[in-house]
Amino acid sequence: MGTVVTIDLYTGPNLAAAEAAGVRRELARASAILQNADEIFSTWQPRSPVSRLRAGNITIAQAPAQVAGVLERCAAARELSRGWFDPWAMPGGVDPTGYVKGWAAQLALAAFTAPCVTGAMVNAAGDIASFGVPAPGQPFRVGIADPAAPRRLAEIAELTGLTQAIATSGTYERGDHLIDPHSGRPAARVASASVTGPDLGLADALATAVAVAGETGLAFIEPIHGYEALIIGFDGRRRWTQRFPFAPP
Amino acid sequence: MRRAPIVIGATILGLAGVLAFHTRPAQLSLPAVPAAGATRRPASGTSPSGTAGRISASPAPGKTGQPAGDTTRSATGPGVNYSYGVMSVKVTVSGRKILKVGIGSLDDGGNLRSESIDQQAIPILEHEVLQAQSANIQGVSGASFISTGFEHSLQGALHALGFQ
Repeated sequence: MGTVVTIDLYTGPNLAAAEAAGVRRELARASAILQNADEIFSTWQPRSPVSRLRAGNITIAQAPAQVAGVLERCAAARELSRGWFDPWAMPGGVDPTGYVKGWAAQLALAAFTAPCVTGAMVNAAGDIASFGVPAPGQPFRVGIADPAAPRRLAEIAELTGLTQAIATSGTYERGDHLIDPHSGRPAARVASASVTGPDLGLADALATAVAVAGETGLAFIEPIHGYEALIIGFDGRRRWTQRFPFAPP
Repeated sequence: MRRAPIVIGATILGLAGVLAFHTRPAQLSLPAVPAAGATRRPASGTSPSGTAGRISASPAPGKTGQPAGDTTRSATGPGVNYSYGVMSVKVTVSGRKILKVGIGSLDDGGNLRSESIDQQAIPILEHEVLQAQSANIQGVSGASFISTGFEHSLQGALHALGFQ
C-alpha cells in the first residue's frame, strides 16, 4: 500500500534512559500495529485476508477477527453517512480501505501510554490522530492542504478536547479512488473534505463520504455528535458545519 | 519563545520502519528503531532501476569541535519510473534530523508536462518539517502526493544515510 506514516511524540526534557527505552518499545509496538493492519487489509497484496475475502476465497469467519470488527464499524459508518460511505458498493468486492487507514492510525496512537509522553500525533498520509498537547497550554494545530495549491494551507484546525482526530479526503490525492456508491463510478463533488472528531477511523469514513456527497454531506455530519466537517469546492469556496474547529487567528 | 520539545518521529514506509528525528533532542540520542518488517516491492506501476544511493558530505559551516551528528549529508535514492520518465529523490540530513527532501534528478525525455512535477510531488517530510516550522502547526491533513516510486527512492536515500 505504501502509506507514509509519521509519528511525533512530545515529551518533557530530561528523559531518563529507562523512560526513553520504554518510548522506543512503544514506538516499535505502534509500527507493528500499522504493519499488521497493512498485512490484513491491504487490497494491493493479493494474498492478504481482505484480498482473499474480496476474491471469494475465504469467508469473514475464516478471516482474522479484526476483519469482522472493522466491517461492523463500516456498517455503522454507512448508516451514519446515509449510504455515501459504502464499502459494499465498491468494485471488486467489499473494500473497507476508506475506514482502515484511520482505524489503524488510531490504534497505533493507543500504543503510547508512557506517562512521559504528554502529546502524540500519528499522521497516516494526512489522516491524523492525536492526544495531549505539543507544549503546555498549546493545543495541536493542523494545517489543511489547499487542494488548488498543495504547498499552501487552506485552513488551520485545532485538535483539542474530544476532537483530536482529523481526516481529509480529496480527488487530488494520488491513488485515492472516490467511488459514488449510488452510481458505482468515480465521482467527487468537492475538491477536498475534512472531518474532525474523536475517532479517526470514523472521521476517515465520513471524510470519504463527504468528498463524494459534497455540500449535502454537511447535512448528515451536523447531527453526528462530536464530528464536524469542512469542504473546499473546486472553485475554492469553503463550507463547514457549525462547530468546525478552526484555530483562532 | 517556542520551547523546543523533544520530538521523536518515525516514518513507516509500507512495511519498512525508519526512524527520523524532526527535532534533535537536547539530552537524548536514540538509535534507529529496527525495521518493522522486510522491505517489499512497491505496488505495480513502478519498477525501480538505477544505481544505489550516493552520499556526499559537507561539514556544518563555521563550527569546530562539533559532534559528528552536525555534519550535513545528502544522499540520492535509486532512479524510479514515474509517469513521464525516471526520477530520483534526494535527502539532506544533519545528524538525525531530516532537513530537506526533494527531487534529485529528473529525466523525462524532454516532456514539457513533467516540469510541473516539482509542484505536484510534494515530499511529505519536507512538507511537514518546513511548513510546521513556519506556521506553528504540527501536521498537515490532506495533500498526500507520494507516489510509490517516490517512496521507494526516498527509502533508498534514507537507507544510504543510515536511517534504517
